[in-house]
Amino acid sequence: MQVDEFLDPKILIVSGKGGVGKTTVAAALALVAARHGRKVCMAEIDRKGTLPKLFGGGDVTYEPRELSPGVWGLSIIPEDALAEYLRVQYHMSRISRAFRSTHFVDYITTAAPGLKDILVLGKIWYLEQDEDHGGGAPGFDTIVVDAPAAGHMATFLKAPQGLADAVRVGPVRRQSEWLNDMLTDPKRSRVHLVTLAEEMPVTETLETSEALVKDLGIMQGAVFANAIYSRLLTDEEAEEFEKIAADGKIDELYDVAQTAGVKLDDDDLEALHGYAHFLKVRRGIQAPHLAKLRKGVTQPVIELPFLFSAGLALPDIETLADVIEERMESL
Amino acid sequence: MTPSHTRVNPIGEIVNHKEIVVCAGSGGVGKTTTAAAIALQAALDGKKVAVLTIDPAKRLASSLGLKELTNEPSKVNKRKFSSASLEMKGELWALMLDTKTTFDEVVTRYAPSPEQAERILANRFYRNISSTLSGTQEYMAMEKLYELHAGGEFDIIVIDTPPTRNALDFLDAPRRLTDFFESRVLRWFLMPYMKAGSGIFRVANIAATTFLRVVKRIIGGDVLQDTAEFFSNLEGMYDGFKERAREVSALLQSAATSFVIVTSPGEDSVMEATFFAARLNEAGLPFGALIVNRVHPRFGDGVDVKPRQLAKLEKLGEHGQLLAKLIDNEEAFMRVVRLEEKNLNALARKIPRHRWVRVPYLEQEAIDFRGLSLIADKLFEA
Repeated sequence: MQVDEFLDPKILIVSGKGGVGKTTVAAALALVAARHGRKVCMAEIDRKGTLPKLFGGGDVTYEPRELSPGVWGLSIIPEDALAEYLRVQYHMSRISRAFRSTHFVDYITTAAPGLKDILVLGKIWYLEQDEDHGGGAPGFDTIVVDAPAAGHMATFLKAPQGLADAVRVGPVRRQSEWLNDMLTDPKRSRVHLVTLAEEMPVTETLETSEALVKDLGIMQGAVFANAIYSRLLTDEEAEEFEKIAADGKIDELYDVAQTAGVKLDDDDLEALHGYAHFLKVRRGIQAPHLAKLRKGVTQPVIELPFLFSAGLALPDIETLADVIEERMESL
Repeated sequence: MTPSHTRVNPIGEIVNHKEIVVCAGSGGVGKTTTAAAIALQAALDGKKVAVLTIDPAKRLASSLGLKELTNEPSKVNKRKFSSASLEMKGELWALMLDTKTTFDEVVTRYAPSPEQAERILANRFYRNISSTLSGTQEYMAMEKLYELHAGGEFDIIVIDTPPTRNALDFLDAPRRLTDFFESRVLRWFLMPYMKAGSGIFRVANIAATTFLRVVKRIIGGDVLQDTAEFFSNLEGMYDGFKERAREVSALLQSAATSFVIVTSPGEDSVMEATFFAARLNEAGLPFGALIVNRVHPRFGDGVDVKPRQLAKLEKLGEHGQLLAKLIDNEEAFMRVVRLEEKNLNALARKIPRHRWVRVPYLEQEAIDFRGLSLIADKLFEA
């Protein structure tokens, strides 16, 4: 598959359970799109705040702001989306301020569950349409949505259908149909799921994936299996090393090291062994979950490596973007 | 008695002296597993323990005997422990929070009459609250905790907190929810839908009516009607809610409670843990211990190899190549270890290390009692 084909729909929705690296993967996808000459907007939902950290500080607000060359970011806040909707739709800019008062959006979104999701999706729709609209934000080629956690995903994407069922006529009915069309048209949007090779995230991914296809008819992109301990060393190699040690032939390794000018002591050898064993064990734990994932979903599973880091920084995202690009070409 | 010159394990100390242990931290750091492991160990040691979990992994839930969602404590069968070769001296009870049922119980308790309770329970707005309003799950977790504690049946209750976007959210939940019920803005807007209305209110109604027309267009008139009904039925119950919220806060602040912050050594969750510790302090809530999960193990001080030497190794036959790969692997892990240590050093400036317990990656997943007890061994290690 060509990268361009993969990036074809304008809206890329990225979802996954909390703590799986959803935002990181969304950011990496945004970078890939930007590298391919697209003007990208990354939308985070409801003030999560991870996005600005990834791109080195500065607030991300409701107004899109360029975070790195070609990548813009905004935070979709339901209160702001509602105010914007009222302003555009009903020319009610003054009174719409009252909607921001404490709890007001809470009340009406509790009264009509799904409305919050509609407001968020509505904003995405605005962003999608934007090339035709004057004013506002500049038109984007790709919109990467850092969507709500997977558990809430089906509800989130089902919201327009729900609203269309509840409201039979009028502008709201029409608008919810627009949103549903946007989500179910594979040329316009695609959903990518992110998971870890662990029990809970995989189970949730399988459930979400099934719900997306069955209940919603939404086009699925890839499943990203994140933080997979990569093969710096195969299990066979780790075992070979253990065998050398068990056979009392460790001196042969010392000799080779010495020839290369490397000074190794017993502690070093123990460390080499420790990490070789650790890698093998971690992979052993991840393997059955990965297998279950591959068996359970129809879309391609893209493995992303554990990054051997302990924070979130742009270089890490660049690395992930490299991997994604490479894997997409070989799909 | 054991001599006290050895380091006192903070978790052991909490379990020995407290009645409530609250496990908090950001998502994906192992809160649920930690809560289960603490509860298991306390029970093995002879206490009658209840563990209240929010959203356990399926296999963990089934090993706790929670295959079916249950909002009341049920006792874990003793045979489960003997088959994991664990000697159970106490009792382990487990329950999984059911937000909706707990909320129903609260409503029933505070409603002035059974009829009014029924009207509320049947209301559509009310039925949406437990599934859509953020903060409800947190509030009900605290409510359930209070109820269990007041029942006095357990020596110790261990609770896992909901997977909120941010670990601090649940501290504010009771207040946010009482605010939600009490807001005057809401009643002003809903006035035209409420039955009574004095002269003053009618003036306000003109603005409210314009506004409502728009709201009505968006969400529908019957929905507004439901909302108004809900709030008018709730009249007279606010004091009960508020009183209870105060009691829950007082319990959490009391000497009977201890908060355990769970984190991983990743930058994000370390930052979250730091904020959380500060917030506990501000709110006068008792901090007990910090659990650092998922720490990569440290083996040695790092092999000293230059890239040039590594390149040379790769040309030295099978053994040379193997060694080069082993070194590569070791260097990658040492990079993580150093970054994690850097994050943890920053954390140590905020939370003193003698309140810490580290749990390294184990060789198996904690999905059964065997696995949990391995974690417990690390948690309670002196």
